[in-house]
Amino acid sequence: MFRRSWRHTAAVATVALLALSSVTACGDDSSDAKDLSENRAGAMENYAAGTQFKATEPLSFSVLYNNHPNYPLKNDWLFWKELTARTNVTLEPVAVPLSDYNQKRSLLIGAGDAPLLIPKTYPPDVHAYVSSGAILPVSDYLDLMPNLKDKIEKWNLKPELDTLRQADGKFYLLPGVHEKPWHEYSLVVRTDILDELGLEIPKTWDELYTVLKAMKAKYPDVYPFSDRYSQPNPAGNLLNLLAVSHGLEGAGWNFQHVSWNAGAQKFEYTAATEHYRHVLEYLNKLVAEKLLDPESFTQTDDLARQKLANSKSFVISGNAQALVNDYRPDLAATNPKAKITKIPLPVGPAGEINPASRLENGMMISSKARDSKNFVAMMQFVDWLWYSDEGQMFARWGVEGTTYVKDATGKAGLAEDVDMIGLNPGAPKHLQKDFGFANGVFAYGGRPELVQAFFSAEEQEFQKVMNARTPKSPPPPYPLTDEEREQVSLWETPLKDHVYQATLQFALGQRDLAQWDAYVTELKSKNMDAYLDTVNKAYERYRDEHK
Amino acid sequence: MVSIEAAEPATAPTPEPRRRRRGIQQTRGYRVFQVVNAIILTAVVVVTLYPFVNIVARSMSHEAYIIAGQVNLVPRGFTLDTYQLVLSDSMFWTNYRNTVFYTVTATLISIVMTTCYAYVLSKKDLKGRSALVGIAVFTMFFTGGLIPNYVLVTSLGLKNSVWAIALPNAINVFNLLVMKAFFESLPNDLEEAAAVDGLNTYGILWRIVLPLSKAIVATMVLFYAVAFWNSWFAAFLYLDRQELWPVTIYLRNLIAGATGAENIGAISEANEVQAEATLKAVTIVLTTLPILLVYPFVQRYFVRGIMLGAVKG
Repeated sequence: MFRRSWRHTAAVATVALLALSSVTACGDDSSDAKDLSENRAGAMENYAAGTQFKATEPLSFSVLYNNHPNYPLKNDWLFWKELTARTNVTLEPVAVPLSDYNQKRSLLIGAGDAPLLIPKTYPPDVHAYVSSGAILPVSDYLDLMPNLKDKIEKWNLKPELDTLRQADGKFYLLPGVHEKPWHEYSLVVRTDILDELGLEIPKTWDELYTVLKAMKAKYPDVYPFSDRYSQPNPAGNLLNLLAVSHGLEGAGWNFQHVSWNAGAQKFEYTAATEHYRHVLEYLNKLVAEKLLDPESFTQTDDLARQKLANSKSFVISGNAQALVNDYRPDLAATNPKAKITKIPLPVGPAGEINPASRLENGMMISSKARDSKNFVAMMQFVDWLWYSDEGQMFARWGVEGTTYVKDATGKAGLAEDVDMIGLNPGAPKHLQKDFGFANGVFAYGGRPELVQAFFSAEEQEFQKVMNARTPKSPPPPYPLTDEEREQVSLWETPLKDHVYQATLQFALGQRDLAQWDAYVTELKSKNMDAYLDTVNKAYERYRDEHK
Repeated sequence: MVSIEAAEPATAPTPEPRRRRRGIQQTRGYRVFQVVNAIILTAVVVVTLYPFVNIVARSMSHEAYIIAGQVNLVPRGFTLDTYQLVLSDSMFWTNYRNTVFYTVTATLISIVMTTCYAYVLSKKDLKGRSALVGIAVFTMFFTGGLIPNYVLVTSLGLKNSVWAIALPNAINVFNLLVMKAFFESLPNDLEEAAAVDGLNTYGILWRIVLPLSKAIVATMVLFYAVAFWNSWFAAFLYLDRQELWPVTIYLRNLIAGATGAENIGAISEANEVQAEATLKAVTIVLTTLPILLVYPFVQRYFVRGIMLGAVKG
């Protein structure tokens, strides 16, 4: 027993370590990076944006496959068949359970055994692999990807892509790209209580305070706001929402050590800014006036759900899924008269912004692919399936006439016998389970019509409100070198721990906010200034090199 | 009891009854002890059983009641939908069959290897014995690490086969040492007598030692079977196709999916939603049930076996 669990813990550490060390030695000398004459087998001569990609000979590429339990991999999916028919490419999935996808990915890359295509990778995960040389610097090959280039230009994605760049100025991830930012999480509010009290849906954080106060006046023995998402970090979502509304990069479960200060043209330590202080003051006020349940910072999600279901609270964090899958069914069972909705993100001092990023998880490519004679064809294939309008449409909706139909205006809708998220209840077949479309591995990003294709009407309404707001501009890039990254990662954990601890103390009133300066001094003693120095130097270095 | 107490003063003077009197007092204390003991043990039973009963009740309850925290010992809003959801999936059965197959194969291999190794190590006059023990114990504290192991297993061509699960974990050193201690405790004269009667080493092991070691073998079978039944990590590392996965991975993945760590940005179906709260319970019931059923049958060996191995000085 002892040995088993020990080995398991060690395994995780080993993966992280070995992923960093150099494993494969097929480095790309920039001199021969551009010479692709040996790698054009199967590629199209005149492939361009809008062209249907079809390899000139049958090809197959291995792909790491994130196996989702809701639609487990099937070899007879129409997706595979139709993909081969259209592109002459067969994908060979290496199935990995979703539960432990990242770990297996690290293992395979570390062991030099990774498939050519490695999708479902989130931007920060890339850092660990860059120095090993096992991952292809895809930014060198954007010329092979006309659809992606087209979208970068049309949607003005360059600032976002720049944030992906490493110290060598290249990026190693082909991210999912959205035309519009997609913000998911906000607060969920019992509207029947608002109606009962004659209140409007709160638009700002200050209005939320007023609403909570009114709720408390009517129901003195309830905490009107009892939040979830507090594990492993306290009030993960609430802190993040408040921080981004104050113009910071993120806090809570999206904790970002540094935030860009456009006025001063430099990075500041997020949790030491005046903005963060205001966030804490706000939380402290809610707790002190018993509007926010102090257990919000520690309780489990289930407990928070129970409180909401039993009308022991009226406000909670959530996204569309939590609303439809958790809160509504819970309340339907305990209190059929209750009405609940997700309100647009309350506005803070940063004004009406949409804080979401337009990038999401994307794909890494093994550098061994560069040596394949089919390399160019593979890049064209990736460009078509993940970035062309036709490819995205195919991956999400499937085949016209079989899985979807278009109405007179050209708007797509599910075929009658195909179901997806209960849009065609009782239909015998399922778009994901039986056909393999709308699969998280292949379908993401794109135009809002596509991204929101399967959203409920109320979620589309929510997105409409959020999209009317100004998208938050991404911070300038500050790519760190390997040594710098290693150094800052040593500082990060103690800093973060201290921030979480102090956040909790300040919010709960265990520590007086008058001690703010002392708190900042404590952060300084944990190398906050050195951290900022490193980041700001990296920013200036990149800025000067890329004027 | 009352009459005995009444007799006390009369029998007090002589030493013999005094001893008996002490015995009487002990009996009284013993009765008290029995009552207290029964209460404490009942409490232990309740504390141990409660989670099991609760899990079974949850597995048959409607999710709304679980979320509302109203399910204790009896299912509320009785439904078997989640069982149906899990059991109706052919992949579940495929993976379940894999688990049974892997467990049986791996346990067989393990028990043979461990027995042979342990028996050899129990021979005090064996040359290089301490080196052999050292080699085994060394692996308790040091491993090659994850990636070297992976590379080794892959280049031996074991990937995507039962051998990747059975062979690298065939000998558990802790089990090996327990078994070694057990064999050392067997009287040497027996084996000498057998040798005099003409049995060779294998004959002694097969006809004399093993029949006397049923207890420890049963214990080891249980240890190994439970470990292999519950294991998922080796399978996760070395098996790249879902039709090869054991049921532990299937269920682990199912829970990860239901708890919504990752969804495609749309709302999943209402009938899947129901699964979330009850799913964990159903999962636990279905995976633990078979291995729980094994316990009662091996238990008497289990207790004796582990004692015999451990007490050896």
